[in-house]
Amino acid sequence: MSGARPPALAALAAVVLAAGLALVLAIAAGRVQSVRVAAAEAEGRMAAALWEEAGGAQSGARAVGGLLGERATILGAGDGGDRAGAYAYEAGALDPAAWIAVEPHGADGLPGTLPGGALAIALAGAALVAGWAARRRRGPVSSRYPRGIALLSLGCVALAAAIAGRWADGELRSLSAATAARGAQAVELALAGGADPARAARVAHLPWAEDGALEATSEQWTMPAGVAAAIAASPDRAGQPAGAPYTVEADGATWHVAHAADVHLAFLGYERTASPALALAAAAALAALLVALALHLVQLAPRPRALRRMLAAWGLLAPAATLILAFTLGPLLFSLWISLHEWRLIDPAPLFLGLDNYAALLADGEWGSAIGNTALFTLHVPAAMAVALALALLTRGSRRAMRWARLALFLPGITSVAAIAVVWKWLLSDRYGLLNRGLERVGLDSVPWLTSPDTALVSLMMIGIWMVVGYQIVVFQAGLAAIPRDWYDAARVDGAGPWQRFRHVTLPGLRHTLFFVLVTSVIGSFQVFGLVYVMTEGGPLGATDVAVYHIYREAWEFLQFGNAAAMSWMLFAVVFAATWLHFRFLDTRRAHG
Amino acid sequence: MGLVTRAPQGVELRGVEKRYGEVVAVRALDLEVRPGELVVLVGPSGCGKSTLLRLIAGLIAPTAGEVWIGGRRVDDVEPGARDVSMVFQSYALYPHMTVAGNLGFGLRVRGTPRDEIERRVAEAAAALGLSDLLSRRPGQLSGGQRQRVALGRAMVRDPGVFLFDEPLSNLDAELRLRTRDEIAALHRRLGTTMIFVTHDQVEALSLGERVAVMDRGRLQQVGTPDEVYRRPRNLFVAGFVGSPPINCIPLARDEGGRLVGGPFALHAPAGLDRATLGVRPEDLSLAGGGDGGDPTGAGDFRAAVLRVEALGSEQRVHLDGPGDAAWVARAGPSLRVAPGDRVRISIAWERSHLFGPDGRREEMAPRPMNRPASP
Repeated sequence: MSGARPPALAALAAVVLAAGLALVLAIAAGRVQSVRVAAAEAEGRMAAALWEEAGGAQSGARAVGGLLGERATILGAGDGGDRAGAYAYEAGALDPAAWIAVEPHGADGLPGTLPGGALAIALAGAALVAGWAARRRRGPVSSRYPRGIALLSLGCVALAAAIAGRWADGELRSLSAATAARGAQAVELALAGGADPARAARVAHLPWAEDGALEATSEQWTMPAGVAAAIAASPDRAGQPAGAPYTVEADGATWHVAHAADVHLAFLGYERTASPALALAAAAALAALLVALALHLVQLAPRPRALRRMLAAWGLLAPAATLILAFTLGPLLFSLWISLHEWRLIDPAPLFLGLDNYAALLADGEWGSAIGNTALFTLHVPAAMAVALALALLTRGSRRAMRWARLALFLPGITSVAAIAVVWKWLLSDRYGLLNRGLERVGLDSVPWLTSPDTALVSLMMIGIWMVVGYQIVVFQAGLAAIPRDWYDAARVDGAGPWQRFRHVTLPGLRHTLFFVLVTSVIGSFQVFGLVYVMTEGGPLGATDVAVYHIYREAWEFLQFGNAAAMSWMLFAVVFAATWLHFRFLDTRRAHG
Repeated sequence: MGLVTRAPQGVELRGVEKRYGEVVAVRALDLEVRPGELVVLVGPSGCGKSTLLRLIAGLIAPTAGEVWIGGRRVDDVEPGARDVSMVFQSYALYPHMTVAGNLGFGLRVRGTPRDEIERRVAEAAAALGLSDLLSRRPGQLSGGQRQRVALGRAMVRDPGVFLFDEPLSNLDAELRLRTRDEIAALHRRLGTTMIFVTHDQVEALSLGERVAVMDRGRLQQVGTPDEVYRRPRNLFVAGFVGSPPINCIPLARDEGGRLVGGPFALHAPAGLDRATLGVRPEDLSLAGGGDGGDPTGAGDFRAAVLRVEALGSEQRVHLDGPGDAAWVARAGPSLRVAPGDRVRISIAWERSHLFGPDGRREEMAPRPMNRPASP
């Protein structure tokens, strides 16, 4: 329409394109960098372990020094000397783990590979040409031009993603091979320094081989039998000089392997397992979003008022949307991704397992009992609701005493769970607790409130009731206040007594409130953690091991993040199903408006 | 119909008073409602009429005085045991029950056998044209239908006394008229005692066999609609009842012993120094348009026409006078006047009222003196 538009449009498209490309490259580079850092850290741990194994002897130090010199250049931070040594020492204090490089097949199966990208560009070009042609014939066609630009941009971004992915793959592959070679070299150096070969390997947590047979386990890692067999049978193994890396295809992945000459020690160099596919897909999605946004802006450009309004709207949305993306949606998707992998946080890269985590959980008795404990614990919700409703009815009205009573009842709900748990832990203590002292004083037997598997969960349920009642009272009272007085008056004139008024007026009048409290309290109950964490730590004998606590331990004590993420999603499924059932069978809102 | 089998009950209030702290909602009030009578409690909002109804229902307890229903003192009797039923302004229908459930609620909580509940619900529904709606819920009904369900719920119980708390005020104008007629018909048919609260004086006059006018917690007058309209006991009743309201002008005794105000000079009854003259709009007659001669009749006056409301069957003529007042006259449809015209107005003095300084109506009708006061 206006003559100034095509140049402005082109500039905008260029900006969007540049941004998309930069983003893709940055993500790929970041991925490579993070793997490099992880590799360096693992090497540091290995070096420290070997150093200790060599008893700090000269040769051990040399082995370490040799490695650390390399590492220093990799990290690009300081060179050798004290700083690297200190790092290795610190790293050695960590619990060393086995490391292994796995390159899943089909890792670079992103749709945006080279041919895909080319096809996209061709399509975009064709669309653009068609747009131009249409414009020539039928005068200015405002919608086709931006559409063509968008397609072209998308194609370019996809191509860039593919190229970046290739580059990252190549980088990581060579890095992996180099690491494998250095690993073998390091073990040889350690051996030359007098270290016992079996121990050297074990301390370094390397699967090692002697007399041609690979030992497939280390302290913390079990090599898949298929991989061990494949390495043992590899024709490359015999022909390779010591320290020269080679690859073995096994178990659906590429394993980078090197071995030391004198002892038949196989060292498995590690490599990225996470293909940049996910990052690239995210980048492509983001780029598509940017392009769509740009397109929208272009379409709105001739209408400044609409444009201003849209910009204002997005400006106002941006802070909240950013927070949601960064702290809600992002972690959510990340946990879903983790749940498909084995990942121990200290692993350089997660191992893709597909749905294995979920399958294993279905057969996991401890997880099953954690879910069962959680369900049992949730039975405190109906009890709490009955208590809360009774108290809400008793403490109605605006008299001063009632107001104080309500305040007192509400206090537990706004007190820190940790504080509550600590206080109750004292109160319920077997020998010194106030409760048991009281029982003894009146001549009764003391009760092992938190120390017997029979009573611990019930004790927690009672505390759960005490904590949640105040909040429920407040909600119930709001619901009660919303019941028209006329309903009660009409019922009284009709001859309904107090119980009948409760049964026929109060309860039906509260049904939405009851439903709301039930759903929110059940969800809250499924998420119980603080009480268990502080008071029982899941014990005794796992009697109070509830789902979220189980997940916490799986992640932060056993470092099974993949497993823990899978559990989280299963818990989510359970809560979702429970809520859906509530809505399906208890929600009466649809019945009458 | 067979709906009502029991005799209607009378209601009597003796010195009933209701205080909320300092606030007196109803003060020392006596009222007798005869069995089978339809009495309308009417008054401006806040006059205590709804409080009075709730006192009768037993929803609130009187601070002093006695409530008698059917010859039984019921001050300490629960509402459900007073043999009354009540229709609320909000209808107070239970949204979670069907129409049938709402109608039968009062019987159900009393443990009435199921088949009898069904029979009586069906009868009431048939009487009110609700038979097709029995399985609906209140949320699915129109305002008029809900109103009928509320009525039916009161009928089903077959009470000695019906109480209505502004049951028509949530209906639109047309439906209100129709429902008013239906309630009147219902009363004729059932013959039950009914006490009906409203703030609408037209509704009160059209519906009530007797009308009780309340203001500020006191009964101002109890009487037939005709009595209340034609012989208001005081200025408040005169002003509250009637639409457009009664025309007033203040009068004061002059040296000549006359009550004068505006163009009027009246014979002063003994002991009356100040008074208010009240004339209903229909008691003013306008003599022709134009500027005819001087007023001829005693007490006639002249005023300019400000505005004319032509309502079809009648006209309301807004006058710039007498004196500083602005009266409204009701005239037939054939009168031809226009804003700006000066008209001569004569008053039907025998139907007019003189109110003393305390608002009480003088028994004697005002009498104009032959000589008009100076303008």
